[in-house]
Amino acid sequence: MRKPTRHRPTVLACVVASGLLLTACADDGGSTSAAGDGTCSPDEITLIGQVRNQTNPYEAAWLTGGDTFAESVGLEQQHLTYDGDSQRQQEQIRQALAGSGMECAVLNVLPNGDSDTAPIVAAANEAGAFLVTQWNKPAELNPWDGFDRWVAHITYDGEESGYLIAKALFDRMGGSGGVIALQGILDTSAAQDRFAGLQRALSEYPGITLLDEQTAGFDRAEALNVTRTLLTAHADHVGGIWAANDDMALGALQALEAAGLENVGVVGIDAVPEAIAAIQEGRMTATVSSDGPWQGAIGLAMGYCAATGELDPASVDNDDRAFFAEQFLIDQSNVAEFAAPELDMADFDCANVFERATGPIG
Amino acid sequence: MTSPDTAQPRAARPAPATGPRPAAGGRPRQTWRPRGTDAVQTTASLAALVLMILVFSVLDAQFRSLDNLVAVVDAAAVLAVVTVGLTFVLLLGAIDLSVEGVIGACALTVALLVANSRTGLDLGVLGVVVAVALGAAFGLASGLLSTRLRIPSFLTTLGVYAIGLGVATILFAGERPIVEDAWLSGWASSKFLGFAVASWVAAGAVLAGWLTQRYTRVGRYAYAIGGAEDIARLSGVPVARYKAAAFAVAGAFYGLGAVMATSQLGSGVVTAGSGLNFSAIAAAVIGGTLLVGGRGGVLQSMIGVFVLTVLQNGLILAGVSPYAQQAVQGVIVVAAVAAATWPVRHRLGVVK
Repeated sequence: MRKPTRHRPTVLACVVASGLLLTACADDGGSTSAAGDGTCSPDEITLIGQVRNQTNPYEAAWLTGGDTFAESVGLEQQHLTYDGDSQRQQEQIRQALAGSGMECAVLNVLPNGDSDTAPIVAAANEAGAFLVTQWNKPAELNPWDGFDRWVAHITYDGEESGYLIAKALFDRMGGSGGVIALQGILDTSAAQDRFAGLQRALSEYPGITLLDEQTAGFDRAEALNVTRTLLTAHADHVGGIWAANDDMALGALQALEAAGLENVGVVGIDAVPEAIAAIQEGRMTATVSSDGPWQGAIGLAMGYCAATGELDPASVDNDDRAFFAEQFLIDQSNVAEFAAPELDMADFDCANVFERATGPIG
Repeated sequence: MTSPDTAQPRAARPAPATGPRPAAGGRPRQTWRPRGTDAVQTTASLAALVLMILVFSVLDAQFRSLDNLVAVVDAAAVLAVVTVGLTFVLLLGAIDLSVEGVIGACALTVALLVANSRTGLDLGVLGVVVAVALGAAFGLASGLLSTRLRIPSFLTTLGVYAIGLGVATILFAGERPIVEDAWLSGWASSKFLGFAVASWVAAGAVLAGWLTQRYTRVGRYAYAIGGAEDIARLSGVPVARYKAAAFAVAGAFYGLGAVMATSQLGSGVVTAGSGLNFSAIAAAVIGGTLLVGGRGGVLQSMIGVFVLTVLQNGLILAGVSPYAQQAVQGVIVVAAVAAATWPVRHRLGVVK
């Protein structure tokens, strides 16, 4: 019975405290409102990087890239991870943008799915924060449709990635033989686009036959099991394994090694460190890199340039505000360059931030 | 049924009339075979498995090859070990949702302790032992939280799942440790009598699990507690202690599963156990280790493990479209559970 009374003072204190906080914030907002026009001084800027999780090398590298950029401008990057949970991502964005004075915030965000992008864009625009999104957005939503704070959307041509690795694989096989395809999560556009790239390459190489296609959900353990099963049926005919990402490629590689099959080409996408090591050792054929560290840094750099007034998003060409970024095929010939990736800070000069755009999305 | 346990007949009588009874006081006396409805159910599960094998054998010639038998057994190894562990928890009438978290933490631990690309350590067997011990510690934590704080195992294990995944993420630190220990890698790549070494490890683990279930108090009391916890308590069984112990045993098996998965994957992967929790629960139930507790056992659960593995393997070889596979798999799992529990459905009482 005493509980409610005991809590009353606490509640009161909270109300008073939050009232004080609100006033303080309001003052703050007033003093920086002038900065809303893209004239923040560098030390007023907050850099925020948000990815799904830090349990995979790619997204971990993304955040490291963001840190490197932040350091280069004397700031710190705030890390947000939402574990692939759309609700949580929205909640984190809401909280990050809850204060006022957000006109000098810069967000580099990996939306969980296409449908998650719209509310993030709306929230950033309302708070006046500069936003760069990557990978996922609905086709009909574009930065130039009145979102002056949404600097750009960056993504990669999945069809091209699937095609590049398929070609590398088929060339290694001498243009003839059988391949097994490991698809990603089937209802994602990444999986579909990459597979379309494989099919384009198949049509160009009549000597190559697709023995089987299965999904392994972008997952290494699943790829191991699926490949093991497929090998019982196709061990005598398989010359290569095409995987829609490196994790599955590495799982397939383990299955091949367990089955004692050598000289089967394996390709993947993402350029995770283990895949690069495997290419160096000649166990894997090729992978494609989107350059995770660059992705982590470029979003912050674009936002930073916009916030300091060096870049006016409204004056950027539409083709550059939603673009496919350059990707790199890594094979035996150039793997050494990617073994110890280093960011070229010149890429992040405000004049160069769109250097890697290869064309509009579409 | 007669009651050979004269020391504490009260304890013996209300325990599930047909399942193996608790070794309350006196020496356990029990026939090898499960009796009564349990036997009927085991037969039903086995029949489902045999039927599935027959159908796939007719559909695809590759399926009935010896190579594929090896592939199925090798693919079942990790799930088998994890399901053995989970069976101990299910026998209690509890549930364990921590599997994937515990496996993540143990996978990273073993990968960092044996020769690897990140730490200079090379502990070999000791690293494996530490990983298994860590799994047991996680299990013990789940058990203690459930029994001492009286929180349902559903919630405590969900918490331990998150903790395990968190520990794994911290250990991962942005860079996967690649296993360079030839001995551990050999579990997956070397063969012994046709099967991968990991499959023999799994067979040993199943045997150990079965012996634990049959001859130790942890195993025997698990049936008593799962059958009727309050009666077990009234008859002097230190329920809380043995529940926690059963969770710890389960955790140790998850730890071993993590070691095997790590040897197969070739590096420490945080999500090494992804999907295993659900598969293990499904396997146990299909085999006849029911969620109500006190029924089934390690060997019955293994039937379920093979049902799931054969199903996955067979659907791929039979050329079922990858787009339809998951749906087909779901339908067959539901049908298998229905078939397995059909003979005893009237004894299950309330279904929640």
